[in-house]
Amino acid sequence: MNLLIVLTVFLLMEGATWLIHKYVMHGFLWILHRDHHDHSNNGAFERNDWFFVIFATPAIALMYYGAAANFNYLFYIGLGITLYGMAYFFVHDIFIHQRVKVLKNTQNPYLLAIRRAHKQHHKHTVKEYGECFGFLWVPVKYFKMYFNKN
Amino acid sequence: MLQPYTYLIVLFFTVIVCFIASFDKRLQFHKQFGAFIKAATIVAIPFIAWDIWFTAHGVWWFNTNYTTGASLAGLPIEEWMFFFCIPFSCVFTYYCLEKFFKWQAASAFNNLIVFIIIILCAVVGLLHPTKMYTLVTAVAVICTLIYLHFFVKTDWIGRATLTYIILLPGFFGVNGVLTGTGLQQAIVNYNPAEFLGIRMLTIPIEDMFYGYAQFLLVVYFFKKFQNK
Repeated sequence: MNLLIVLTVFLLMEGATWLIHKYVMHGFLWILHRDHHDHSNNGAFERNDWFFVIFATPAIALMYYGAAANFNYLFYIGLGITLYGMAYFFVHDIFIHQRVKVLKNTQNPYLLAIRRAHKQHHKHTVKEYGECFGFLWVPVKYFKMYFNKN
Repeated sequence: MLQPYTYLIVLFFTVIVCFIASFDKRLQFHKQFGAFIKAATIVAIPFIAWDIWFTAHGVWWFNTNYTTGASLAGLPIEEWMFFFCIPFSCVFTYYCLEKFFKWQAASAFNNLIVFIIIILCAVVGLLHPTKMYTLVTAVAVICTLIYLHFFVKTDWIGRATLTYIILLPGFFGVNGVLTGTGLQQAIVNYNPAEFLGIRMLTIPIEDMFYGYAQFLLVVYFFKKFQNK
């Protein structure tokens, strides 16, 4: 049951990420997200990284209240958010933006598709007209692009 | 017969190899001694204050069978030296790794490490606000990471964390003996009401995070003062 909650939250987080990315990060908080697109900030740190605080806060609160109430469902919701955050850093920081040169020449169609879609997303350096706001799930056309090749 | 020198001997073995190696031609770490002393002193001030306060309030206490008996502000003289000896070996290791390895890749993990540790410390700290050692350590780690990651915007948290992981066997050796591994009694004793009670061998888990915060801060100041 608890595992099911974690999994469900993980999947729902993809939807939440899409919404937040499209309407918040490319909306009223564009000021924090902009430097991730136009690299106006020097150094390894981007103002964009503040978003991790925004995602960590509810996770901390949920895990705290859940653990205080004898590890009820709230804790596992928090855990789901945390695991999604970890997946996010692994895939986004490390794989897509190649902060570590791993899987650089991967042929895995799923990985190629999310990288391609993220690239598409980054083509736009302005707030409007963005596309591909998803993260682990992207428009089917990108999957087709690579899965059909094989 | 050697019993009163136990703590001193532990410290001696912590630094001696690193100290001798400092004069190696390829390393020349001895040229950084000044920077190190400055950095360690700055970090030692709050940590020793914390130590004095905890000792005075009985959060932990020292078994004087294993110390020479000299003490200052309630702390054995060895405990004062601890704040220079331990960081010395740690910074030395970090310096060597920085010099000999292309390990920029470790910085890719900055976000991930800070994210996980802050969530972990925040949750544990909130759950145990009455346990002084647990709470103060959690707050210290969170403040250190937030300061270094979001304000100073360091790019080396991943590298420092990797160094700390590499140093863990040494940490287990030193802290193991201090907390009683291989001895009849522990040198440092902890009030069971003030920490989680989770021990790795004999070492309270809080010690690992305490050491982590201390290490990150010493590296930060060391880099500031370092002669390039």
